[in-house]
Amino acid sequence: MNGEELTEQETALYDRQIRVWGADAQRRLSKSHILVYGMKGSVAEFCKNIVLAGVGSVTLVDDREVTEEALSANFLILPDENLYHGKTLAEVCCDSLKEFNPMVHVSVEKGDISTFGVEFFGKFDAMVISCCSLAKKKLINQKCRKLSKRVAFYTVDCRGSCGEIFVDLKDYKYSKKKLEETVECQLEFPSFEDTISVPWKALPKRVSKLYFAMRVIEQFEDAEGRNPGETSIADLPGVLKLRKELCETNSVNESQIPDALLERLLMDTSEYPPVCAIIGGILGQEVIKAISGKGDPLKNFFFFDAMDGKGLIEDISEPKPVS
Amino acid sequence: MADAAPPSKSRDLDKLLLRPGNLVGPTFDPGVQVFFLSVLIFEGFGYFQLRDDLQEYARVLVVGAGGLGCELLKDLALSGFKNLEVIDMDRIEVTNLNRQFLFRLEDVGKPKAEVAAKRVMERVSGVNIVPHFCRIEDKDIEFYNDFNIIALGLDSIEARSYINAVACSFLEYDSDDNPREETMKPMVDGGTEGFKGHARVIVPGVTPCFECTIWLFPPQVKFPLCTLAETPRNAAHCIEYAHLIKWDEVHSGQAFDPDNPDHMKWVYDEAVKRAELFGIPGVTYSLTQGVVKNIIPAIASTNAIISAACTLETLKIASGCSKTLSNYLTYNGVEGLHTKVTEFVKDKDCLVCGPGVLIELDTTVTLKKFIDMLEEDPRVLMTKASITYHGKNLYMQAPPVLEEMTRSNLELPLYDLMDKIPKDVLHATGTINKDDKKSSGLRKLRVVFKGIDGVADMDMAGGA
Repeated sequence: MNGEELTEQETALYDRQIRVWGADAQRRLSKSHILVYGMKGSVAEFCKNIVLAGVGSVTLVDDREVTEEALSANFLILPDENLYHGKTLAEVCCDSLKEFNPMVHVSVEKGDISTFGVEFFGKFDAMVISCCSLAKKKLINQKCRKLSKRVAFYTVDCRGSCGEIFVDLKDYKYSKKKLEETVECQLEFPSFEDTISVPWKALPKRVSKLYFAMRVIEQFEDAEGRNPGETSIADLPGVLKLRKELCETNSVNESQIPDALLERLLMDTSEYPPVCAIIGGILGQEVIKAISGKGDPLKNFFFFDAMDGKGLIEDISEPKPVS
Repeated sequence: MADAAPPSKSRDLDKLLLRPGNLVGPTFDPGVQVFFLSVLIFEGFGYFQLRDDLQEYARVLVVGAGGLGCELLKDLALSGFKNLEVIDMDRIEVTNLNRQFLFRLEDVGKPKAEVAAKRVMERVSGVNIVPHFCRIEDKDIEFYNDFNIIALGLDSIEARSYINAVACSFLEYDSDDNPREETMKPMVDGGTEGFKGHARVIVPGVTPCFECTIWLFPPQVKFPLCTLAETPRNAAHCIEYAHLIKWDEVHSGQAFDPDNPDHMKWVYDEAVKRAELFGIPGVTYSLTQGVVKNIIPAIASTNAIISAACTLETLKIASGCSKTLSNYLTYNGVEGLHTKVTEFVKDKDCLVCGPGVLIELDTTVTLKKFIDMLEEDPRVLMTKASITYHGKNLYMQAPPVLEEMTRSNLELPLYDLMDKIPKDVLHATGTINKDDKKSSGLRKLRVVFKGIDGVADMDMAGGA
């Protein structure tokens, strides 16, 4: 792991995946450092996938205590109160993750992530943020973008049977295989703030309703000073009112965001294990692609709804100026 | 409504499953039903927490404890299933550890099924998982009938074909040739390779079964012998020449063992020599292993995604709470992300999930003659057939004890052995020889005896 070549142990352990993405990509993975904030079920799944894949290090941030609710969708926590009593979510998950692959350095960072400086984020190659308010997401994304080094930025949000992933890779150069050749590509990603500022009217009608519904809920939580996921059906009137305002401001029809969808998102606030596994799997894939610099990345939102089993990619960005 | 039920730690699952759901009862109608997760209106007869049903009644078998199996067990256990069983004949290897996360380095050599069951039970309270360290063919067919749903995490066509035939063998048709709902054994099948995967729902009699859509598979790579012997063009040709031709020439009699590193090295060295002779680049030790062992490249994330999709479908089938995937999902993460769901259609003439291969016989035909006929019948092509009738062993080729016990039946007329019923269904298990390939198989045979007056209809025959 320290030298340029993969060790014999790494070659044996990673044989099956080296056949997928090659030894060069595996080397890059083993030198990468990932920051993870908010140890919810989908994030736990993500961590499992990248630890198994053999990244260099994973740093976990989550000072909350372990609760019964956390247990129901987080496979990393052993259901034994004696073991988790007094420990934070990050600490318990750290212990478990180390077991999956002793070659990966897993550690815990304590503190309020919004107070960490830009230099702190510069230590990482990729970061995944979850359980984050609108304000916090913007703040951390801005700090990342200040760095000259590119830090791949992802947010993930799973509510009941729905899940959302956001991706910001700034100015991203990568290669991909086209038939027999290797082609060099480049993509520019908008920041989180720029993305959600794109006027709704400018977006194609067929854009997933989940995008708009999540933005309404997100803003509602922000306005009410709630933690993400701290909602209930009692909030429906307030949310519908906000929807009305936002739709008017954006000049779109309220039917773009169905009542039923908003109700589900308000009520089903805890996590659904299979949805966590799907989201965590896709996120793991994306981070591996970004670190190895191979393959088309997801740009820039992914939505999943277990009700219809559909996974949708939406490119939410400013429409290109027409000359 | 939700207040009436005791609060459980998986509150969302409670809301998802707030409808009574029989496994395949009057509520089961995959073509029509769509239920919304947050059901706010309850029908007159009330409701009960389906989670209790899942806990007590639903029995799910996971076939395979590898990349998909580990993920399936975790997802099913976390989703509230309490009665799981898992079957896998393999032991843990180092190359499994990059994705089969239930296993550690110190577990290498231990049976996968046993370690997997143990680890999941440690992590999820309340679930019971029974491991079976054996081949799928080693179990009685009735073993599989005990389960409500079978989830597959297999890595070969042959294994899928076998389990499919077993599940479809339970399917019965009524006198109008309609499949009987209560005999349908649903399966959820997942498969992965690298960044690609599929998840499909098989309900025998309703959706296509595995055999109905076997044409979906591309022809298995098989190099013509003349190419290997005379005109190799790529590295794989050189490797297979060394493996399939040169080995026997030099080691006549000694079988090639792919797990023996000396054998593998020998094949590699020979392949290199041949490649140099023909000026072909690309022969590496890694490629040699891959070609000879037919290694499937595999990563954790694809397995996680496909297994979770399978778990969602298993939940929907068990609870009848939502429209299931209809019926084949393909996933491709190579270029960005791509998923597609295709609705394939059942083959009404399918020999496996249809009413069965129709065989007309004289009442004088003995069981032995019948078994011999199966070898020649182009629709069956089965050698060493063992025959069961409504769970009763008519003749078993193995084990020796059973063979001895049933040997005397061979000389008896099949008509007598089938209780002199004019027509009924038998199951035959044995070796199927198709396209030069031998594999274990099971076939449903509809036997009709000629010349019997007043043929009773299937319903009455089945009830006897």
